[in-house]
Amino acid sequence: MDYVLTANAIGKSYKRFHALKNLSMHVPKGAIYGFVGKNGSGKTTLIRLICGLQNPTSGSYALYGTEHTEKAIRKVRKRIGAVVETPSIYLHMTAEENLKEQYRMLGLPSFDGIDGILKLAGLEHTGKKKAKHFSLGMRQRLGIAIALCGSPDFLILDEPTNGLDPQGIIEMRELILKLNKERQITFLISSHILDELSRLATHYGFIDSGHIVKEISAAELDHVCRKCLCLEVSDIRAFALTAERMGLEYHILSDTRAEVFSKTTVTQFVMPLAEAGCEVLSIHEREESLESYYMSLIGGKINESTVIR
Amino acid sequence: MNQLLYANFSRLKKDIFFRIGVLFLFAMGILMPLSLFSNMKKYGYPIPLESGYCFYVLFMAIFSSVFCSLFIGTEYNDGTMRNKLIAGHSRIAVYFSFLIVSITAVFLMCLAYLVSSLCTGIPLLGFFSDAAFPVVLGHVGAIFILAVAFTAICTAVAMLCQNKATTATVCILGVFLLLFLGVYIHARLEEPEYYETYYLEAEEAIEENTSLTPNPSYISGTKRQVYEFLHDFLPGNQAVQLSSLSAVHLWKMSFYSLLIAVAATGTGIYIFYRENIN
Repeated sequence: MDYVLTANAIGKSYKRFHALKNLSMHVPKGAIYGFVGKNGSGKTTLIRLICGLQNPTSGSYALYGTEHTEKAIRKVRKRIGAVVETPSIYLHMTAEENLKEQYRMLGLPSFDGIDGILKLAGLEHTGKKKAKHFSLGMRQRLGIAIALCGSPDFLILDEPTNGLDPQGIIEMRELILKLNKERQITFLISSHILDELSRLATHYGFIDSGHIVKEISAAELDHVCRKCLCLEVSDIRAFALTAERMGLEYHILSDTRAEVFSKTTVTQFVMPLAEAGCEVLSIHEREESLESYYMSLIGGKINESTVIR
Repeated sequence: MNQLLYANFSRLKKDIFFRIGVLFLFAMGILMPLSLFSNMKKYGYPIPLESGYCFYVLFMAIFSSVFCSLFIGTEYNDGTMRNKLIAGHSRIAVYFSFLIVSITAVFLMCLAYLVSSLCTGIPLLGFFSDAAFPVVLGHVGAIFILAVAFTAICTAVAMLCQNKATTATVCILGVFLLLFLGVYIHARLEEPEYYETYYLEAEEAIEENTSLTPNPSYISGTKRQVYEFLHDFLPGNQAVQLSSLSAVHLWKMSFYSLLIAVAATGTGIYIFYRENIN
């Protein structure tokens, strides 16, 4: 698999505080990588490192296979765009002037693409309105528009929906999906709005206390989070034999606990078990969301559905 | 680097504080000769163009601190400094691009004064006297080099402090502190070694006598040497000397200015290269 970003045992310390510890992550090409973690877990610190705003204390990272210590990394950086924390825009300039300034800074030969970027970001009608008079959503979109100058193929967005109203969140999501589909731009999106992220991401990286707890694709996560029946039985061997005979997909957790993923009614399953001499001690249905999966990963409470006894 | 310069210069053209600085010094250049001309008419004695001609150096120092702190501070305040680094520009190039643009801006402010003061002053007061012309020329040259020193210091502060308000406070207060220190040291060095004391003796006929009394405020020995060095070395002291066209060691002062500029820029780049940008 081609990776846009690979981080290898990165560490970052500020005096005695260790913001990142031995962090490794992999962002595949073309992915929308949801970077999930609570406040202070190290999301923004990692983004600052990747953007070259700060240097790691230990470890290394590579962008498009180029190590951050190599000289060529500066050229590679021209392929990335980023919005770190707040949108980086000149507040006393209009949207168009901001984009022109970015074009000049990138050394682009003409301003030809500006109208297209403004339209893409939904800012084509802002005219002479200065950025300081923009709403938060407009500023976020302008931040992304600036990051899009120079046609990057990797966009890093730090909390892009922070402070946006529902309409703004929907517009942001549509913009990200559009850019990913139409321009094949790879995204690294940090967020703690898990519901919103679950509508976008193709891959996830869960960070806690400065290190990645788990990296998983959306398909794998769906598989892990699908609906299942959790059973506590008296005889796990009899349970396995019965499940095999019925052709059910199951997973044994311990000597007494197992999960059944196939669709079946309780009666259809409990009756054969009773015939096989296996007593069902408890049974409950479970459907994990991204939120509950995240909480279980970092050691919080898991939301479970109703328990049937 | 060229791309950064192009972007920064285009921003400079629209920068409100740069425009204010140019306009202010341009207006100063008109008002100074007008005021001298008005005094000349009022008191009926000739006033040459060179008197007070280099007074603008004090405003140059203040405006360089205001401009640098606000122009560069905006980059941190609006977060646009990040765009430059994310785009792959080296920190050294980013630093130098701001330094070059800031020096150019302060030079343009000085030029605005020189142009307007000459255009107004020559028709009203005539050209500089033959004796004063080389002195004025030397002082104007030294002021440009001093502008580099002031701008380099303010650029270093602005590049290393990521808070616009703090940068502005430190730069502006710092420049005022240097200027006040300049005035203080200048005043101490100007103290005469002796006072002339006059007294009258009235015995048979009234007689007027004078004697020399040592001035307790006079600085002498090593302390005087240190003060004299600081008077030529510190930018604020140089500004005070240049403003009154009284600088004697112009070459030495210009050398010190360049030394300060190199030291400030070297230190600034060294720290900025290692700094964590938020």
